Amino acid sequence: MRSELVHPAVAVAGVSKVFNRGSANQVDALVDVDLVVAPGEFVSLIGPSGCGKSTLLRLIAHLIEPSSGNVLVNGKSASQARLDQEYGMAFQQAGLFDWRSVAKNVELPLELKGWDKKRRAARAREMLELVKLGDFVDHRPWQLSGGMQQRVAIARALAAHPPLLLMDEPFGALDEMTREHMQAELLRICDETRTSVVFVTHSIPEAVYLSDRVVVMSPRPGRITDVVDVDLGRDRDDDTREDDAFYRKIIEVREALRNGGHDTTVDHETVDPDAVGHPLLGVDDR
Amino acid sequence: MTRRRLRTFALALVGLLAVAVLWEFYKLVGPQRGGEIFGWGILPRANDNVMPHVWDMFARYTEPDRRGSETRIWQTVLGGGWFTFRLAFLGFAIGAVVGVGLAVLMARFRVVERGLLPYLVVSQTVPLIALAPLVVSWGGRVQVGDFVWPRWLSASVLGAFLAFFPVAVGTLRGLKSSPPAALELMDSYAASWRSSLFKLRFPAAVPQIVPALRLAATASVVGVVVAEISTGLQGGIGRLVIEYARQATSDPAKVYTAVFGAALVGLGMAGIVALLDKLLMRGRPPTEPDIVMGATT
Repeated sequence: MRSELVHPAVAVAGVSKVFNRGSANQVDALVDVDLVVAPGEFVSLIGPSGCGKSTLLRLIAHLIEPSSGNVLVNGKSASQARLDQEYGMAFQQAGLFDWRSVAKNVELPLELKGWDKKRRAARAREMLELVKLGDFVDHRPWQLSGGMQQRVAIARALAAHPPLLLMDEPFGALDEMTREHMQAELLRICDETRTSVVFVTHSIPEAVYLSDRVVVMSPRPGRITDVVDVDLGRDRDDDTREDDAFYRKIIEVREALRNGGHDTTVDHETVDPDAVGHPLLGVDDR
Repeated sequence: MTRRRLRTFALALVGLLAVAVLWEFYKLVGPQRGGEIFGWGILPRANDNVMPHVWDMFARYTEPDRRGSETRIWQTVLGGGWFTFRLAFLGFAIGAVVGVGLAVLMARFRVVERGLLPYLVVSQTVPLIALAPLVVSWGGRVQVGDFVWPRWLSASVLGAFLAFFPVAVGTLRGLKSSPPAALELMDSYAASWRSSLFKLRFPAAVPQIVPALRLAATASVVGVVVAEISTGLQGGIGRLVIEYARQATSDPAKVYTAVFGAALVGLGMAGIVALLDKLLMRGRPPTEPDIVMGATT
């Protein structure tokens, strides 16, 4: 099958990231981070604002360069992986283009890859059916609800069938009901497409529900303090959320967050490299 | 939608009528020989030589443009308007292309923006009247193969000179207004600058380009009319205004026929931009473009 399968989806080794090095407002966003994501694995990054989880995601995406250390995606350097579109990305804001139809939005990464029109249209339809928006191909993004827009964004991120999906709080702006529904959908989609996921979130239940492993991070300096294995099996549904094992994992992650962040006061002076503007520590489960 | 459009149209008509009524009202009550307020002579004279009746202005359209002529004034004004319209349209087109081109250059290279933008601003402070003879004389020297610079082209160039500026500034602002998340998305696809220009920056800039084009359209009409007057170019509405104004002592209503003609040219250009607006904004959300700025949030 795919030869990439022998490579980890993501291999981060000894990575540090310093912003504004040498200046008065130097920020050690990440210090000496190691992380390996196996093919098909779902890994969440959780931690309070400023712990560098979004920075780590952007390093994997090669949207920023590490100050030191090494990032491999699917066995390639991060820069090569970006050029080859080895990953798809989804943000908190769906970021769909108003001037394109829903289908054309999904086609965007394929256009950039130089696919011909027919192949693009077929793939866009396939992806939109995957996210259950097959009837909205010709709609405009602004005619859809927030949850539907986010589903289009996921379809777009997966359009080129990348082996890896990078998501930065993609459901953060959705209401609780929609959010749970989207989480279930995401798991289904990832299972169907066998995509590995690195998922940044503020929500403990979300991290536990979705992940095979939850990576707990803490700020100042940003680092990984704990990794919680979530052995709830792969078949998860609404009943999982009411399961005792689910609650135990939530408590485990919560404990890990509390132990990791010895300094639990919110320091407003500190520049937040994530810039997510979340005023509270990331232990809320809205 | 059609009802709303009908209402807009009716309101515009009412506005025009209101101006006419106000004009005639002042003629009724205003001082015939002008008036002073606190010693300042600011009240215009209301007599027929300075303020002809509205119906006199329109009556002129059916009269011959000069004694013994077969052509009616409306024909002359319409012909002049069409002449000026074509020049203004060409000026608008040149201005839009140059403006967008400059904006792309400035958006691409910060050095160009820093070096060029101040000069663009300064360029607009040069009086057009001073520039007009220069452009004509430069044009007169241009000869490439069989191409000889026609006199009217100078007028278009001057129209373009006024038109390019709002387009350059508006487009530059628009090109820089893409949401950071959208730019990051294009980055994640390793999109080239060219692809992100055509697939993101340009489409995202459209809500700012359209109002810039609207400004450019009227600016190009002003440019061409002023150029016609200051270079003595025959055949356009600018020339008619001057010509008829000279006859104002004997026929004060006549000059207004040309003035309205000039307004008509401006309306025509505005109509073209309205069409462009419709075309470019197709399928966009029906909200204030300033709030949406391109990408859905």
